[in-house]
Formats: sequence, C-alpha cells, structure tokens
Amino acid sequence: MAGLIAARPRVSAKAYFGAVALATALGIAAAMLLRPAFAHTVLELTGLESVPQASADSFYAQRVQPLFQAHCIGCHGSERQKGGLRLDSFAATQRGGKHGAVAVAGDIKGSSLFERITLPATDDRAMPPSGKTPMNNDEITVIRLWIASGASGTLPARAVKGAPRLVAPVTIPELNPSAVVKKRAPLAARVAQLRGRFPGIVEYESRDSADLVVNATLKHDAFGDSDLRALAPLGARIVAADLSGTAVTDAAAPLLAAMPVLRSLRLMRTKTTDATVTALAGSKTLKVLAVGKASPEALAPLRRKGVRIYEDADGG
Amino acid sequence: MRQTETVQQMLERLDRQAQTRRQFVGWGAGGLGAFFMNTAMAAQQPTTSTGLSFRRDPSTPLSVLPPQFPAKAKRVIYLHMGGAPSQLELFDHKPLLAKFDGHDCPQSFLKGKRFAFIRGVPKMLGPQFPFHQTGKNGTWISDRLPHTEKLIDDLCLIKSMKTDQFNHAPAQLLVQTGDARTGHASLGSWVTYGLGTENQNLPGFIVLASSGPGPTANAGKPLWGSGFLPSVYQGVECRSAGEPVLYLNNPHDVSRASRRQVLDAVDAINHHTEQEFGNPETVARIAQYELAYRMQVEASEAMDIKREPAAVLARYGAEPGKTSYANNCLVARRLAERGVRFIQLYHWGWDSHGSPSDEGINIGFVNRCKETDQPTAALLQDLKERGLLEDTLVIWGGEFGRTPMEDNHGGSTEVSKYIGRDHHTAAFTVWMTGAGVRTGMVHGETDDMGYEVVKDPVEVRDLHATILYLLGFDYQKLNYPYQGLDQKLTGVKPARIVSEILA
Repeated sequence: MAGLIAARPRVSAKAYFGAVALATALGIAAAMLLRPAFAHTVLELTGLESVPQASADSFYAQRVQPLFQAHCIGCHGSERQKGGLRLDSFAATQRGGKHGAVAVAGDIKGSSLFERITLPATDDRAMPPSGKTPMNNDEITVIRLWIASGASGTLPARAVKGAPRLVAPVTIPELNPSAVVKKRAPLAARVAQLRGRFPGIVEYESRDSADLVVNATLKHDAFGDSDLRALAPLGARIVAADLSGTAVTDAAAPLLAAMPVLRSLRLMRTKTTDATVTALAGSKTLKVLAVGKASPEALAPLRRKGVRIYEDADGG
Repeated sequence: MRQTETVQQMLERLDRQAQTRRQFVGWGAGGLGAFFMNTAMAAQQPTTSTGLSFRRDPSTPLSVLPPQFPAKAKRVIYLHMGGAPSQLELFDHKPLLAKFDGHDCPQSFLKGKRFAFIRGVPKMLGPQFPFHQTGKNGTWISDRLPHTEKLIDDLCLIKSMKTDQFNHAPAQLLVQTGDARTGHASLGSWVTYGLGTENQNLPGFIVLASSGPGPTANAGKPLWGSGFLPSVYQGVECRSAGEPVLYLNNPHDVSRASRRQVLDAVDAINHHTEQEFGNPETVARIAQYELAYRMQVEASEAMDIKREPAAVLARYGAEPGKTSYANNCLVARRLAERGVRFIQLYHWGWDSHGSPSDEGINIGFVNRCKETDQPTAALLQDLKERGLLEDTLVIWGGEFGRTPMEDNHGGSTEVSKYIGRDHHTAAFTVWMTGAGVRTGMVHGETDDMGYEVVKDPVEVRDLHATILYLLGFDYQKLNYPYQGLDQKLTGVKPARIVSEILA
C-alpha cells in the first residue's frame, strides 16, 4: 500500500482541489448556458438573484396557480418534472423548462405555455395531453390575460380586466348542536312558550340559527295586532315576517320598525297603509317589502336604499 | 251480521283477533317475530349517524321542520316537459350544424354509441327555426318562445345537462327520483320529508299533469312516489278540470257532519290498531284521512281558477273547466301562495321523433311550444310581481335532449314529411330561476354540433344537489336509512353543487 502511494506523481493538494473546483465551475457554467432554468436555480441559491415570489392578492395566486394545480402539476410538479418544467410555484413557473421560459411577459405568441394549451386535442404537443381534461375557454382566457399583463406575480387580481367570474366552491359548515343551543339560549324559553301559543307560525330560520321566521298568513284575519304584540319579545331575532292577509294594521308599524334584523316583510292584503311603510324607512336591514296599498312617495326612500318592493296586483 | 255491529263491538272483535295473532307470534316464533318488529320500527324512525333527524309527531307527519342552514328557496315549482323538448330548436344555438344539414353523421358521433331509434348512418339535421339574440346579455334563443323570451334576463340557462338514460321512463325517473329504477323517493317527497309543508290543509307535494295528444307519464306514478320514504310524502295528483282531487268531495246526500262521524269511527278503529301493532303507517293513514277532510274545503278553493280576474286568466291563456298546462300554471301560483311546498307540473308530448305528425318538430313540437310558452311566462311574471320569486325556485326541463342527427327510424331511408330527432343523453338544456339563482346567465356549452358538452358539464345529481342546497340542505345530510344504506336523492356517486349558478 505504501509503495503504491509513493509511486504516484506528486500533485499539491492546492492544485488538485483547484482543478476540481475549476472543472465543477465549468460544468455548472455549461449547464447554466444550456438550461436557463438551472441557471436561475443556481443564481437564486447563491443569492445572486432573488427568488421571485407571488403575492397573495395577485392575479397569479388567485386565478392562475389554481389552474396549474388542477391541470398541470401531476407531470410538472414535485413528483415529476417532464421537460424539466415545474409549475408548482411562481419561481418555478418563471424558470421554465429545458427549452427555456414558458410564459414570456406580454408575449402570448412567444409563450409556449399558451401555445400548448390552445393546440387542438389531436396534436401530440397539446397540453394537458390527450385523455386529460383540456382547459376550457374561461381557463384559457385567464392564462392569456396573465401573460398579456406581464406574467406577473404581484399584479393584483383586480387590476386585470376582462377575467371570467371567479366562483368559489360551496362550503357547508358542519352542524354544531351545542353551539346552536348556546346561541338560542337567551330566548329559548320565550320561543318555546310562544311556539306553543302560535303553532306553525314561529319557526327557527334553520337548524344552525337562532334567528326566527314568522308566517301568519294561514291564520288569515284570526291573527291581528294583539297577536303580533304577543310576539314582540322575539322581535330582536325575527328575520322574516309574512303577515299577508292577516288583520294587522298600522298599529303594528312601531313594532315592525323596531325589529333590528328584519330582512323580509310581507303585508299584502292587509289594512296597513303609508304610515307603516314610512315607519319602516329607517330599517337598516330590510331587503324585501311586499305591501298592499302604498303611495310612490312613501315607498321612495326604501327604493332608494335598494329594498326590493312588491305591490299587491289586486290592489291591497 | 256485521251491519248491526257497533263500533264498540267491532273494536272488541278486532282485539280478540289481534290477541290470537299475538299468541301465534309468541308461541311460534317469538324471538324472530320480535326481531322483525324491531326492524320494521327502526325503519320507521330514522336515526342516522350521518344525517339529520326528521322525527315528528306521527299524527302531523307534514309539520314544518327548519332546513339545515338558512335557505334561499322555501318552495319549488318544477315544470317537467315530458318527452324531452329539443334544445337545438329552443336554446342551444348551433349555426355550424345548419351548414352540415343533410350530411352523413360522422363516425366519431356513432362509434360505440347507442341510440333509442337511430340505426346505421343518419343525416345531420340543422336547427329548424331561426335564432336571434335577446336580453341584456345577448342570449341566443329561437323564435318559438316569444313570451318566455321577454323574461330571458331572469333565467339561468344550463346548456350542459347530461344524463345516462336514453329511454323516457328511466330518464324521467332519474330526473325526478335520482335513480333510473322505480322504488326511489321523488324530489318532491324528499323536500316535503325534509321541510314539511306550511299549509296543513293541503298536501305538501301536489302534481298537476297536462298533455298534448300521445303518450303521457312514461314512468307512471312512481315519478311522484315516495319510494322508501313513508308514504305520506308521496305526491298527490290533482286535476285542473272537474273535481281537483278525485273522490275527495262527499257523495251526493252525504253531509259534512255525517262524513265527520264516519271519519271519527274510522279514526277510532285505526287508533286501536295503532296501539295494538304500533305501526306508524297506521298513524300516517289517520293523518291522511284528516288531511282529506280538511282538503274538502281548502283544495276546492285553491284549485278554483274561476275566482281569478279575467285579466289574469287572459294573461295565462287559462280557460276554467279544461285540463291544460295554462290552467295548471295558474293553479301552481295559487298553490305557491297558499303555502304548498312542492308543486310539480308535467306537460307531456315533447317526444319529437318525426313520425307521426304530433311527433314532428314541424308540427307537434310547434304546438307544444304554443301550449307552454305563454303560460310559463305568465307564471314567472306573476310570481315576480307578487314577490314570490324571492323565495320560490322554478325549474324547467325535460328528461334528456334531442340528437343533432335526424331520427332515421331504425335505419329507414324513406323520407318522412315530418322532421324529428332521436333521444340524446350527452347534452340538454334546463333552466332555473327564482330564489338564490343567478339570473341572466348561461352555464355550460356544447360543441359546434351540439353533440357533446365541452364546458361545465352538469349531471342530474349535480342539479339535485344544487336544488337541495337552495332549499337549505347538504345533499349528503338529507338521507334515510333503508336496506343498509343511507339513501340519498343524489345516489352514491359524488355530486357537485353548481356554485356558478348561485346568486
């Protein structure tokens, strides 16, 4: 063993490591020239170039990245990088693949990303490849707008005009019975008592709500001002009241006007007049009002506030 | 002998019979009998781990229950165009299809596909009526619906509906019950099961049917059946001519008071039976008799369109005393006003195969459009003016679409003088409006031939999930345990709430 070492030509450690460093640097430089994406990675790692980041309110983050997520990252993500391309971060998107940038700021024709997603499905180069769901027109529009507006990671979503409407998927919260009991507790005893007295007239708006809806229409004129007064203790929670065809009069107006969360009120075929409508003008929550007879003047302030007004076709 | 038996004697006799039966069960197969009894009871009182509770006092099975979360819609009017109207002659504008009119259908449309009647290579069939743009958003529509057209900005057209059933009965069942086979609960049954109904003097789920000449309800009454749900939630078919509900009124010479006496006696017997066997269906039966008694007064009034002013009748084109879609539309509005939860209209006769004349797009189809256009528009306008569209959901549509190819009647090369299209499952149009629906919009697209959906496909179960969402339910939570499965309107496949069409 010792003889073998002794037989080697003598190279200083300095020269040896210097040569290795030079060869590595040349290799990296060659790779950087051949693969721009790699060049960016190297520059970013060495701190010579800052890593591009997308801001949360950007058009990219809100509209473009979700499309990459849905259509592209199976082959261009952390697991696989076909064509050397990753689309799972803004920085990676900017780097492009082994053939260079895929999204060129402001240049739709020069952006291979756009070209590939718009090729006919029969083309071998079409993306996503055949068998996968192609991007629809709205999605293609989003990509086009992003590239045309500079393929930016910071341009806010609202600054990009003409984008198709963004629709969030519906989420339904889990029903939490103990939270509902807690919400209802302050009025629970009153609600129970009055529901006993007015069966079928007072109901919770939903199983997850402490708000109440009142429907007295089926009582016809057997329901009047005194009955509504009896329901007054629940007034703070009544969001909708249908009193059409009942015997309520303008005497009920102060009570109705004082309901702090009332959204919908129906008074068709009742004896209520402009007095009630005027009393309601101060409501901050009313969205829908159906009335029997009311003058345009009395209704005007409510209309101005955007309340949707319905008047009885049969004339009160 | 029976004729002289008093109610008391009868109860005693039934009691004796029941006792012997009970002894038989006790001696013969005690354990097994008890087991079956418990299973039957469990089925009647659903308690599910994944669903909501719909327990009610059995004597008021239709009492109101709040929805799961605040609902946009309180009630539904469903206008089912039975037989399936052609989307290509009404809403789905396909100018390129016109260019290919008369050309052989390409093999790509036929390979591996199965049609109800088309065999061999049919010809492409261009749109038979001119289209134009209308409304604020320039929505395309044909010239066949001049009245509905005026309300186009209030509609949400879904042009990307899909189904997997190409025959009427299973396709109708799929749209109405969520399954192509009979025995499943209909949409109206699910809704009344979930929410009950406001007016306890009328059924919660009312069915009104009208038709052109030709076949009616291909799938029959299971379309409004309650399936595995308690029978009290099935639809009640009412008529717009003659007595609204057959056998509801008292026979001649039978007074309301004497009917009451009879009912009291029947109720007593039924209560006795219920105590004896504990079957909640008996209580449901008592409730049904009582509902019928209350309906004698209320239903006649609600269905009586003669009470409407002449101007209203004219607007709908309604003629009291007839069975017509127009009359049914007017009745639907009256029922909606009176707190009926689910109002199901059917208008049959849209099956435009091109043979005979009433199945011609140039004849029968034209007539169906005329019969339905004005009344549908009048109903929407009326609901809108009365503020009812705020919390009423209206749905219009058939059970599938029509092919972009001409129906060649089993490969026949004979030229028919009537034009027709075959059943098409891959694309059809449904519209919705009212509570919680985004209006003045088109959702989904078909390809240039109107053959396949190319954007935003909506399956029937997606439509169902969306309807239930608007009524305040998660379609997963509105379920019922039956045959070891939490049964749902949407079935076992995942459904999607079509969030794009929500206001």
